[in-house]
Amino acid sequence: MAEATFHAGAHGAAVHAGGEHAQHAPLEYHPGLPLSNGKLIIWLFLSTEIMFFAGLIGTYIVLRFGAPTWPLPREVHLSEPIGAFNTFVLICSSVTVVLGLEAARANKPAAAKLWLLLTFILGSVFLGVKLYEYNAKFSHGIYPWRPHSLVYEKADLNYAAAVRLRLDALDAQLKGEETALKGEEGSAADDVALANLAEKQKVVADLKVQELAAETKAAQDPDITVRHAELEKLADSIMPLPLHHGEEGGLNHEHRWLKLPIRIPGGNMWASTYFLLTGFHAIHVLVGLIVFFMMLFVTLDVTRAGMVENIGLYWHFVDLVWIFLFPLLYLF
Amino acid sequence: MSSITVGSHAHDDAHAAHGHAGSFLSTYVFSKDHKVIGIQFLFSTLIWFFIGGLLALGIRWQVAWPWADMPVIGKMLFSGEGGQISPEFYTVLFTMHATVMIFFVIIPILAGAFGNFLIPLMIGAEDMAFPTLNMLSYWFMWPAFIAMTASFFVEGGAAKAGWTSYPPLSLTDLNGQTLWLIGLTFVGVSSMMGSVNYLTTIIQMRAPGMTMFRLPMTIWAMFITAILQAFALPVLTAAGFMQLMDRTLGTGFFIPDGWAANNAPLASGGGQPLLWQHLFWFYSHPAVYIMILPAMGMVSDIIACFSRKPLFGYKPMVYSIAGIAGLGFIVWGHHMFMSGMNPALGMTFMVSTMMIALPSAIKTFNWLGTVWGGNIRFTTPMLFALSFVSMFIIGGLSGIFMAATPVDIFIHDTYFIVAHFHYVLFAGTAMGVFGAIYFWFPKMFGRMMNDSWGKVHFLLTFLLLNGTFFTMHILGVVGFPRRLADPYHYQTFHHLQPLNAFMTICAIGMVGAQFIFVANFIFSIFMGPRAGRNPWHCNGLEWQAPSPPGHGNFDVQPVVYRGPYEYGSPEVTTDYYPQTQPPAEGGDKPPTPPAH
Amino acid sequence: MGRFWSLVFLLVPVLGVACFAFAPMYKIWLPKDISQHGPVIDHLFYFILWLTGVVFVITEVALFWFMWRYDSHGRSNPVKFTHGSHTLEIVWTIVPAAVLLFIAIYQMNAWAESKMRNPAAGPDGILGTADDIPALLEVTARQFEWRLRYPVPEEIRKQALGKDSQWDSTKDPIKDLFVVNELHLPVNEEIILDLKSADVLHSFFLPNARVKQDAVPGMKIPVWFRATDTGSYDLVCAELCGWGHYKMKGRLTVESREDFNKWLEERFREQMATQDTASTAKGE
Ligand code: HEA
Ligand code: HEA
Ligand code: CUA
Ligand SMILES: [Cu+2]
Repeated sequence: MAEATFHAGAHGAAVHAGGEHAQHAPLEYHPGLPLSNGKLIIWLFLSTEIMFFAGLIGTYIVLRFGAPTWPLPREVHLSEPIGAFNTFVLICSSVTVVLGLEAARANKPAAAKLWLLLTFILGSVFLGVKLYEYNAKFSHGIYPWRPHSLVYEKADLNYAAAVRLRLDALDAQLKGEETALKGEEGSAADDVALANLAEKQKVVADLKVQELAAETKAAQDPDITVRHAELEKLADSIMPLPLHHGEEGGLNHEHRWLKLPIRIPGGNMWASTYFLLTGFHAIHVLVGLIVFFMMLFVTLDVTRAGMVENIGLYWHFVDLVWIFLFPLLYLF
Repeated sequence: MSSITVGSHAHDDAHAAHGHAGSFLSTYVFSKDHKVIGIQFLFSTLIWFFIGGLLALGIRWQVAWPWADMPVIGKMLFSGEGGQISPEFYTVLFTMHATVMIFFVIIPILAGAFGNFLIPLMIGAEDMAFPTLNMLSYWFMWPAFIAMTASFFVEGGAAKAGWTSYPPLSLTDLNGQTLWLIGLTFVGVSSMMGSVNYLTTIIQMRAPGMTMFRLPMTIWAMFITAILQAFALPVLTAAGFMQLMDRTLGTGFFIPDGWAANNAPLASGGGQPLLWQHLFWFYSHPAVYIMILPAMGMVSDIIACFSRKPLFGYKPMVYSIAGIAGLGFIVWGHHMFMSGMNPALGMTFMVSTMMIALPSAIKTFNWLGTVWGGNIRFTTPMLFALSFVSMFIIGGLSGIFMAATPVDIFIHDTYFIVAHFHYVLFAGTAMGVFGAIYFWFPKMFGRMMNDSWGKVHFLLTFLLLNGTFFTMHILGVVGFPRRLADPYHYQTFHHLQPLNAFMTICAIGMVGAQFIFVANFIFSIFMGPRAGRNPWHCNGLEWQAPSPPGHGNFDVQPVVYRGPYEYGSPEVTTDYYPQTQPPAEGGDKPPTPPAH
Repeated sequence: MGRFWSLVFLLVPVLGVACFAFAPMYKIWLPKDISQHGPVIDHLFYFILWLTGVVFVITEVALFWFMWRYDSHGRSNPVKFTHGSHTLEIVWTIVPAAVLLFIAIYQMNAWAESKMRNPAAGPDGILGTADDIPALLEVTARQFEWRLRYPVPEEIRKQALGKDSQWDSTKDPIKDLFVVNELHLPVNEEIILDLKSADVLHSFFLPNARVKQDAVPGMKIPVWFRATDTGSYDLVCAELCGWGHYKMKGRLTVESREDFNKWLEERFREQMATQDTASTAKGE
């Protein structure tokens, strides 16, 4: 061995002296683990990902158990069956990616591609369902952030003030519509529209009275909770906290245009963490989908099995994260 | 002596010139060669070092002579205020000073510059396992550079909530803080890419015979540092995203209920300010070891080389690095003793913090053991390395005061802390880095740095840094608080101004002394005497490659027969015994077969 | 040259020790201690100072000595070819471990005493927090001042307002005294204060009383100590709270019970006289 090395060295020097472009010796290595470099780095990358999600999940746990109240899933319109369905979809996609790997290993590129296509579709279904769920939150006024969020923690004076502001805004808006309509010459259609408007205005006017009463009662002494019962009643009539999933009611439900602030104890922090966790998870799913999509243009024969395996590892990880998230967010 | 190690100087020149096929852009700018990337990191970080040093002078100026016009630099930096530092700008100064020094100087110079340059060379690989990823890890620093530079010019100025960025204060800043968070995220991504790459390279690409326990300490330190990065950094990234969302979207992770302040985001609340501190220190305590372990590794190599003696207690040294890293994950709470965290938790963090001094003690004593009975050559790198040991002892011992919770009640957030971390960071790591620059400069550029000027640089830096930072302990004993733009209107601290003036003068001198280094560095790149392959007569693999190594590093296949510290071995007549030199007849054992 | 460099390194322990030896002579040292638990903290500080001082001197002098003794210049004897020593490794692991464990255990009581015990339960009861004990005052930190709120005892209130006052304490919500930055405390009494923050983090730092505690928005943190000497001292904000952090300065005045009561009464009378002041101070 040593001899060989010696000669290589002498040879290298000779090449040099000749002024030719030096060829460095092709080096031999002494790998510490029986893995390809690609697989090793994927494992290492996944361990950093584990810490990333550990940070996020840790945050969730700290905030949740440090919070005075935390909403029940139904209060924030979370549907366990939908979540369970999505979990199932993701687990299936983990299976299909394994089958894809088997096919690639067996040097069946067509089969492998089919399995990856299926994985891609399952991942897309997952994201689609996620989007549907997000949309459901948004339609209830639950956003992770303030300017759009209609969520208030409790029915206190802040809440009342927000309701008042929204009612004033509606008032002004309806007035504007009214003058716009009246400015035109009377036609048949206008009467219907005006009747509609009048109805809306009545709803707003009634609510204003109710709101004012509740607020004045509560303002007598902001410290005394009993007087807040009025505000609770107001909040309930706008949008009651659901008793079990699917049951909706309240003015916001009856009149979708109202968009009045709602009360969900602990709802804001819930929304922040829910969107944080599921959002970062969804980004990971999306990255996986992009990679699967690109794989569809590659011949997945046995030489590419390593590639499929690495992507599969990533995909299993994404799946695993969801398996933690689902019970944390939907079940506890 | 085998012909491998003779390293005939004649064809070094040829090597220096050879092998850079491709355009200028792909060779020097978007290079995938670990050596070029390392040197890119080195240059970038040195420039940031200079910027960080200027910011430090701003701090020192204000603390010594509050509200006094600052000559020259004042006009350059804050002409708007007429050469005077405003209280607001003072907060910017120390925030950005620390940010620059930690995230743009110390971490990237250790892992980015030296990690990149040394890892493949020292383990006998031709490059990193993933050269493209490696290139990206450098180029991901640039968005961060740009974000941080830009932050000085946006409305509201750069970040000013301290490098720790505690919310809710950090949420009330204008754009500077947002840019700070973005910059930090990019630095984080860059470090992550680097660390997974280093780990793969070290695990998989060692030369035949290079078992884990034949690795030089530098590589061990880089290896464990990379593990620390990989496990701690993602948590900071997660926290950074959350703070960013709190600032821009209006989520409320770090905002308590019913909270309001100037410029505060319209937030929903319900969060916890202390949560950020936990997440931040969960990263940033391990980060302080990320900032010192590689320096420890390099210093170990330098000391062994110039003591001409094997490293004392190689395995204990390795285990103690691992011990520091492991314990480093469970002590973060010692930054939060006064934060309002449950005091019972403080008690447990205190015990674990005390324990982390143990592996450090092992390291210190082993360095002393290495020097003991050696044959010391007082070269510039050796002086810097010895000063690392000397200074680390001071910085480490002051850590014991703060680890003692009752004492920390008094000294927390005083200059005692400032003294502590400048001893470990500047007097420790930065001095170690200077030593490493002098030591590996011949390998990087094929030329020697001037030793005499190096010693002048060392002497001035050594004396002036102690003048600057040792006195800070005394300030801390009086309770002098950190981060204060004008401390003298407190009666308790009124009499400390002369001492501060003294420190500032030392600091100015110290920054001045760096120009000797800069001049020596630049001059030597072009005009220094040529270095052979192995100018210091060291054992490591990197010294078997040409200086500077060409593309692919080695012109012969390195085969490793022994550990890197066989200096003064009775088996050979020279006082060093390179790792690649085949053993004399019946001498050493043959290399162990590749293990699986 | 080796000699020269060893001497440069010898400067470190020499000047280091000198620095700590001379600083007290120039009164650049621990500020005067006025609290009951302070001496314990100072004692611990000195204890660690001595201990680390000894470690410091031994290690630095050893470094100096090795540099001096094993200079390669003018020496050609072979080096000690050794890879280490198990015995030594064990010794220098066990000894520091013992020392450090000792410090850790030695200081636990002091920590419990100043942060963990229930002040009402006496010095030995290390239980719970001070949540249910009535605080002497409430300190609210805000950018950039200390808002102090003292509950005014019935008798003092009566005295301050005079007998024929129209004021009905049950109806009028203003029953407390509000002051800014002027912290007055009675001497030799256990003081419990509730620390809060109205905006960002601050830290309530009384250097002379060896008290420091961050104020966190959304939390109420009890702080307790017993001042043992009268006088006027600094109250410092020790946590970065914005551009005005440096000027968030309060004044602690420790005085006898009588003086304290007198001050309370006087300030309360002033406050009631100028209702305006009171309402601005309250309606933060
Ligand atoms: C490279 C960086 C680095 C390193 C290595 C360390 C090392 C240590 N640090 Fe330091 N630390 C910082 C960087 C670092 N620190 C920074 C930047 C901050 C401030 C952040 C901020 O707030 O901005 C900080 C703050 C900080 C605090 C918080 C203080 C406060 O804010 O109140 C504490 C408290 O425990 C602490 C403790 C320690 C300890 C115990 C060690 C130990 O690892 C030291 C161990 C070493 C030795 C002890 C010396 C050698 C040993 C011997 C010679 C053996 C014999 C010794 C004995 C028997 C005692 N550090
Ligand atoms: C690695 C970290 C590091 C380094 C090296 C330094 C270096 C210095 N620091 Fe820094 N400092 C911190 C980390 C660091 N600091 C941190 C974390 C804080 C806390 C911030 C906070 O509270 O949030 C802090 C805070 C801090 C304060 C306290 C501010 C306050 O609380 O009010 C002070 C005050 O004196 C100070 C001073 C100095 C000085 C004089 C130097 C000098 O040593 C600087 C010397 C600089 C040079 C010598 C530059 C030389 C340049 C080159 C060698 C390169 C040349 C190359 C080219 C030109 C191409 N620092
Ligand atoms: Cu308040 Cu600093
Ligand atoms: Cu720490």
